[in-house]
Amino acid sequence: MKKINLILICFLILGGMIANAQTPKGSLLIKNATVLTVTNGTLEETDVLVENGIIKKIGKNLNAANVEVIDATGKYLMPGIIDAHSHVALDAVNEATAPITSEVKMADVVNPYDIGLYRALAGGVTISHAMHGSANAIGGQNITLKHRYGSYNPEDLYMKEAPRTIKFALGENPTRVHGRGNGIQPRTRMGVDAVIRNGFNEALQYKKAWADYEAASKQRGANPVPPKYDSRLETLVDILDGNIIIHCHSYRADEIYALINTCREFGIDNIVFSHVNEGFKVAPELAQYTMGASVFADWWAYKFEVYYSTAYNAAILMENGVITSINSDSGELIRHLYHEAGKAQRYGELDDEQTLALITINPAKQLGIADKVGSIEEGKQADLVIFEGHPLSVYAIPQMTFVDGVKYFDINEDPDDMRLKVSASEALEPIFLKEHEHRCMHGVDFFFTNFGRSLFNHSH
Amino acid sequence: MNIRFKPKVFSSLLCLALCFTLHAFGQSDPRGERRVTGTYAIVNATVITAPGKTLEGATILVKNGLVENVGKNISLPPEAQVIKGDSLFIYPGFIDGASSIGISKPADPERPANFDPSNPPDELAGITPWRNALDYYDKNNNQITDWRKVGFTIAQIVPEGGMLPGKSAIVTYGGKESTNILANNTALNARFRNVGGGRGMYPGTQLGIMAKFRDLYKNAELSAKHNRLFASTSGLTRPEINKTLEAFFPVLDKNMPILFEVSNDLETKRAASLQRELGFPLVLAGVSDINYSIDAIKTSNAQVLIGFRLPNDKTANADLEGKTDEMRGRTIRIKEAYQEILEGPAQLEKAGIPFGFTSMGGRSSEMFKNIRLMIENGLSEEAALAALTINNANILGIQKFAGTLEKGKLANMVISTAPIFSEDAQIQHVMADGYLFDYDISKKSKSNGANGKTIDITGIWDYTSDTPAGSSNGTMEIKKEGDSLRGTITYDNPAGSGKASSEMNNITLSGNNLSFTFNVSAGGMSLEVTVAGDVSELDFRGNMSLSDFGSFPLNANKKPNQRNQ
Repeated sequence: MKKINLILICFLILGGMIANAQTPKGSLLIKNATVLTVTNGTLEETDVLVENGIIKKIGKNLNAANVEVIDATGKYLMPGIIDAHSHVALDAVNEATAPITSEVKMADVVNPYDIGLYRALAGGVTISHAMHGSANAIGGQNITLKHRYGSYNPEDLYMKEAPRTIKFALGENPTRVHGRGNGIQPRTRMGVDAVIRNGFNEALQYKKAWADYEAASKQRGANPVPPKYDSRLETLVDILDGNIIIHCHSYRADEIYALINTCREFGIDNIVFSHVNEGFKVAPELAQYTMGASVFADWWAYKFEVYYSTAYNAAILMENGVITSINSDSGELIRHLYHEAGKAQRYGELDDEQTLALITINPAKQLGIADKVGSIEEGKQADLVIFEGHPLSVYAIPQMTFVDGVKYFDINEDPDDMRLKVSASEALEPIFLKEHEHRCMHGVDFFFTNFGRSLFNHSH
Repeated sequence: MNIRFKPKVFSSLLCLALCFTLHAFGQSDPRGERRVTGTYAIVNATVITAPGKTLEGATILVKNGLVENVGKNISLPPEAQVIKGDSLFIYPGFIDGASSIGISKPADPERPANFDPSNPPDELAGITPWRNALDYYDKNNNQITDWRKVGFTIAQIVPEGGMLPGKSAIVTYGGKESTNILANNTALNARFRNVGGGRGMYPGTQLGIMAKFRDLYKNAELSAKHNRLFASTSGLTRPEINKTLEAFFPVLDKNMPILFEVSNDLETKRAASLQRELGFPLVLAGVSDINYSIDAIKTSNAQVLIGFRLPNDKTANADLEGKTDEMRGRTIRIKEAYQEILEGPAQLEKAGIPFGFTSMGGRSSEMFKNIRLMIENGLSEEAALAALTINNANILGIQKFAGTLEKGKLANMVISTAPIFSEDAQIQHVMADGYLFDYDISKKSKSNGANGKTIDITGIWDYTSDTPAGSSNGTMEIKKEGDSLRGTITYDNPAGSGKASSEMNNITLSGNNLSFTFNVSAGGMSLEVTVAGDVSELDFRGNMSLSDFGSFPLNANKKPNQRNQ
């Protein structure tokens, strides 16, 4: 039995190596750091050896030949920060034209030149979950990105070993875009639930049609007619089969609880709720039936459905056993997620390890990649950040950021201009003063007439 | 081989000659429009038969639209019109890899009363692969004249529309009597932008367009399978005939490429990834950001068409010394980016990727200037000529009868007063489909400031402009203030009825070349319109281009009573 496991592991490792053959992997030795492992406490004056992108050894007095040695005496080493809700490095965010667009893939529109990736690296973020927007009840398939900034090839950013995820959205955004904007379902929260439920039921019929066809094809001499292909329903089938993790934009407790029930009805366990401002009201249910909640530290009151909010949300959720993370949903907040996590500690008195988990191992769990990243453990991928000062201190400054053992940010080698591609025809590039706003509703502005715009003058 | 086939050649020639004779005597020609002869001989010229292959002191004999012979000591038939080619340079006629010249946009169909934007009918959603470019092509469009004047004799025309606008055709820029169609259904066109720019209809963004493309392709495969089954088996439900899916069938059989219009390297990579997933033959049209695209082009085995439009050099007059370190650094990067664009075609050549030129996004008046810039930045003249001739013939699959000057090929050629890419080259004749077009070459030398006098363009001008939406007109009033020129232009108000007016910006008069820009606000957007062309004291002939919408002729005359104000 053990032998088989070993062989299996060998195959998996080999397969993994082939899949990632193109992206760079680094080796290095970090000496004398205060290592915040997140899953195994704090290790003082400890060395971390990275070989070929993987954490090989954690211990004292480690030596290695022919690798770069970084002296981290007096500095903190933590796992690369993971943002479970981001729209960085995307050319388009919302295919806001239909209430269900599960066929669209954010991987198709990744823009590796986005300077936001470098800014995120400068804030210690090594992985972001590039999501579809919240215009649709069922949005597009997201892509988990490793911030390998510098490649011209969008595929080099994909974290290929991460499971598939998809965006869902409840409440005001989908009802506003489709119901009020286009006069189609959903116009109310009941409509949103109906759209999702109908989608799943259609998917079941679709699955059956193809299963019948495949079965008939196996009969000798049979010539069955193939059903229509529909990647929208095909994706929903994959959700029902447990192959895709739902990340659902949501604010109110009632709609969160309603979707939990819908998912239970269809046997879906793989669901994470995002934003979840009223999550504290349904914390036990979130703990029991979901993969957790990804929240803001203290962001609310930008529209009606987000008035009932509290800065204690993250702490309440965590103390109730919900896998909790703090996300940015913003190209600005992503640069200081460690501060955002610090706020949860300030209000909710979480301990250091719990607080760091909010931006490392917990988002990793929600993205289905906790076996590979999210903590400093031997065998995990070497996504690491060196901090001057404890990362939860307001004086913390990230010094170096590594992805797969390769250094992508170094505060001492940080030129003014880190753009990869510059326009020759726009001498002065536009600066967006409102860039810090959430991008969930990016691109759907045109659905609203003056009425909508003045009433809802925000984009998340 | 020649001997064996001679009787055949002879009989087909005889047949052609007979047809010609019949035609010649078959009807009267009261207006005297018909040409005297279709036989031409250009003697003692320098003939570049193909990129890198030159014959000095050679003669080309053209008969019935075909190159009858190229070489020395060719005996000329008595009916041949002889053109003295001493000091002339003859090149194969240029081929435009993808063109929207002469193509009009199909009218948008009415939205049905129960219109559902999340599931619109294909035709409304920009999915019209069954359309044929020829149905929207006007062979008498006056822009064709401009493009022929710079050497184009054959073009692949692509339809206008949304993500799948329709199928291309290949036409010649020959005489008026012919339909000028060379081939039909030559490529299935696709693009990453849709009708209405993502406004309220599925698929609205590149996200939806890519997903929809995959779905259509896979359903076309299933539909073809169903058709085959139905043809061979009884007792099956009948296939639903769907013209969108049927349009894909030749692509599935790899008999027709998909011509993907791309506007930057990320779109190139997106088209290449669809190609790798689905396996169709791919032509990329409008490839730019070449340094960033080469790997994707190689992995998808795509054929490549590049535009010859180049951006303006924004930093040409930048004062690096007077800038802060940060601004100096930024300026240098813009300079480098500009340089990268100029070197792009040379990079493609170095990477061993053959490419052709497409007129899309370019202006005929800038073509030679821009190609010269590419050559100054490392592109070989052979590759530049190949990109206008043989490479495009190969990409379009017409190399059997076009792309070089050889016996038996269609009589398409460009006849220039100097090597074609040299600064002082002027095109004296273009032969397209055996029809000779003559151009006045004296004008340029005269207006090149030979008399040293600046043209007085002040006054009020009436202009007309032909756009796909119809003809429009207005006035331009140009005044001199100190050393600079100022002006206002009026035009049909896009926001309603009547006229609107704008300030004319960047009025530049250099020699006989006048250019200016103006801004039109339409639907909350400000569009920059660029006008450029040749001007004299009394008239102006040029083009106006609207950033992404294309380029249209604009001609103007100075009002008589306003002259010499």
